[in-house]
Amino acid sequence: MTLSAYLALALILFCIGLYGALTKRNTVIVLICIELMLNAVNINFVAFAKYGAHPSVHGHVFALFAIAVAAAEAAVGLAALIAFYRSRKTVHVDEANSLKH
Amino acid sequence: MSGTDIAFFLLALAAIAGGVTMLQLTNVVHMVIALVMTFFGIAGLYVLLSAEFVAVVQVLIYSGAITIIMLFAIMLTRHHTDQRERQTTGGVWHKAVAALSVIAFGLAVYFGIRQLDFGADGSALSGDNAKAIGKSLYSYYTIPFEIVSVILLVALIGAIVLAKKDGKGAEDE
Amino acid sequence: MMNLAWVVPLFPLGSFILLLLFGRRWKQRSAYVGIAATLLSLLWALVVLVDRLGGSTYEANWTWMTIGGVTLTVGISVTALNAWMLALVALVSWLVHVYSQGYMAGDERFSTFYAYLGLFTFAMLGLVLSPNLLQAYIFWELVGLGSFLLIGFYFYKEEAKAAAKKAFIMTRIGDVGFLIGMMLLFWQTHSFDYDDIFRAVGDGTLSPGMTTLAVILIFIGAIGKSGQFPLHTWLPDAMEGPTPVSALIHAATMVAAGVYLVAALFPLYEASHTAMMTVATIGGVTAIFAATIGLVQTDIKRVLAYSTISQLGYMMLALGAGSYVAAIFHLTTHAFFKALLFLAAGSVIHAVRTQNIEEMGGLWRRLPWTAPLFLIGALSISGVPLFAGFFSKDEILAAAWTNGPRLLFWLAVAAALLTSFYMFRLFFLVFSGKARHHEDAHEASASMVAPMFVLGVLSIASGYMQTPWFGSFLGEWLTDGAYRHEAAPGWIAVLATIVSFAGIFLAWLMYGAQKMPRDWLSARVPYVDELLRRHYYIDDIYRLTVVSLVSWISRLLAYVDRFLVEGLARLAAGIVGAAASAGSRGQNGQAQTYGAVTVAGLAILVVIFALTGGYWL
Repeated sequence: MTLSAYLALALILFCIGLYGALTKRNTVIVLICIELMLNAVNINFVAFAKYGAHPSVHGHVFALFAIAVAAAEAAVGLAALIAFYRSRKTVHVDEANSLKH
Repeated sequence: MSGTDIAFFLLALAAIAGGVTMLQLTNVVHMVIALVMTFFGIAGLYVLLSAEFVAVVQVLIYSGAITIIMLFAIMLTRHHTDQRERQTTGGVWHKAVAALSVIAFGLAVYFGIRQLDFGADGSALSGDNAKAIGKSLYSYYTIPFEIVSVILLVALIGAIVLAKKDGKGAEDE
Repeated sequence: MMNLAWVVPLFPLGSFILLLLFGRRWKQRSAYVGIAATLLSLLWALVVLVDRLGGSTYEANWTWMTIGGVTLTVGISVTALNAWMLALVALVSWLVHVYSQGYMAGDERFSTFYAYLGLFTFAMLGLVLSPNLLQAYIFWELVGLGSFLLIGFYFYKEEAKAAAKKAFIMTRIGDVGFLIGMMLLFWQTHSFDYDDIFRAVGDGTLSPGMTTLAVILIFIGAIGKSGQFPLHTWLPDAMEGPTPVSALIHAATMVAAGVYLVAALFPLYEASHTAMMTVATIGGVTAIFAATIGLVQTDIKRVLAYSTISQLGYMMLALGAGSYVAAIFHLTTHAFFKALLFLAAGSVIHAVRTQNIEEMGGLWRRLPWTAPLFLIGALSISGVPLFAGFFSKDEILAAAWTNGPRLLFWLAVAAALLTSFYMFRLFFLVFSGKARHHEDAHEASASMVAPMFVLGVLSIASGYMQTPWFGSFLGEWLTDGAYRHEAAPGWIAVLATIVSFAGIFLAWLMYGAQKMPRDWLSARVPYVDELLRRHYYIDDIYRLTVVSLVSWISRLLAYVDRFLVEGLARLAAGIVGAAASAGSRGQNGQAQTYGAVTVAGLAILVVIFALTGGYWL
């Protein structure tokens, strides 16, 4: 398999994640779509680690860093979600609209 | 067509199918489960890409930890499920703009990457890449590694602070 | 002192500003401010005049602005003519200010009246100090503004409103000619300065054809301002204004501005025979034309208005016949006796509260001061020997005989006959005969009589500045000694005398002694009478042609405006409004909307770069 196949797959997943993040109403799903986008990026890292101009393990390391940060982000995001739910009794993104004008 | 190719197609199909299913489903729990399929597919692809260590981490963190924490979040927040409830935000225009933008972005990038090939093969990474990663992390990437651990600590504390019930809120519950 | 001549117009301006600011509080005391300011102006102007009598022309210019290679200047120019006009305007203005204190007493907008008078006086004094056409034009328009405000002073009266608008529009038609002529001169000579333009004519920079065109266009401005045929119709209507205003603006000063302008540009007119002939013809025709209308008017002020038009025609005739001195001389004497007549008429109106002469009569005994003064004015304007009007009119007739076409001379003689007839018709109708229920009519206050008295003296004395017998002081001074008295045949003076006495006698027969039926002529040729009563149908012709055409066009344009222009404006507004509401719908606090917009922008950028190949192309 060539590099472009992996990159295309990552692109498709990224687009799915992006679309979901922009349109889904449930905050949990929005967060998980963001995870999907990060995963797509990780595929790129790892694919370049193997098929890039200079194959090396650095891509793997970066993928791991990204996973770590993504995990942290998921934790904080869900904590924020819980706090939001407690104050507004909802998990819908479109009801979090008081920050405007 | 080699076995690798078949494996790639199957795994890619699984990943994309998971994503598309996630977009189509209405039940939040089902959506998360659908994404688990995607995460597994990606983990398989990592194996194909000679990154066994990352694949294992992927399974542990994503398919395991993050999915579970998501399900917990859903359980904690959802008291009653209404399947007929709208699953998406905005009107037709919002969705159309989002879809068009995403498709345009995807096509433009696709035309950039479809012929990309460096002709290199990093199959040698396979096998002992855990050792290589470990060496790299503890030598070349020491400082970023330490910083990531700080980030995780901060995120941990931050999450606790955010999710902690404050006195007034507790009485309301 | 001449270098300080620019101070003269500033006093009335100061009075205008002060009265505008504090007039409401000062009320009747406002008059003192106006009178004091114009008195200072008068004294200063007299000092300048005396200075100029023994000195030479003073001119000063300051740079106003530089546009590219063109420098516009403002300045003052104290030529003999300007110094003379300055003193004349200041004097009449001061007298009218004094007179108005009595005439306007009790009016609610008393201070406003004085403020407007101040504005007008400022503009008029500024006009006669202008060294260049542009400055003259600015003051020319300011003078028109003052006139507009004062005609429409009783704005609650429909007629006054209409008259003010009419005056403004009619003079504006003339001013367009002035403006175009001025631009033509500037285009050709690159200067507005009188001296530069005269030099350009002298050295041939200005072609004869262009000169003729430009000066005739400028003359159209003078026609508008001086109420000459065919733009005269506003002046009789302007009598809706307060009578002192009629005396100051529509008899003595502003309407003479047209004559002044032609006189100031006289070297330019002299360069073009066609232009001179135009000026003379318009003047001559206007003189007889207005005089005939004056015969049948029944409103005391309108008779005087038509008389003013006629006399201004005389001045134009004199200018056209090449006699600059005669024109200015007549301008001066006319300013005095016509102001006197108007002020006396104001006094009469003040006493009997009507302007219709057919309702007056027998006022001679009731107005012991006004009546003799009016008589002096009437004798002066009729050209009775030893009065000022005789000398100036004689000068004009002589000039018309020597330089002008014979026809114009005879027209002028006929107009002189008519003048004395209608003036004495007026006199006899108002002052002689039986008193008609004006039991309470009484003489006005001293502040009204005194200015009339001064003008009465001047109406006699001013003639002796320029007589065939005692030398021609004014002419020599105005032309720096180059003046020589026209060697006109002596019989002209005799003829003028006969004519004026004939007119007076005829008027006495009809209206004084009533030996002759009043409808002696109108009964025989009723259509002529009707023609004159309707002012030769000029107003009707204008209404049927120009006014209807303009209103038709404007109605058409109104539709264009309403549907086309407004439609476009609404379209533009609608587009902006729609964009704004779309934009504000975007600002809804939805993070996902913001995200979608951001992604859309990113997508557009990425697509553009994908299509063009990146930044570097």
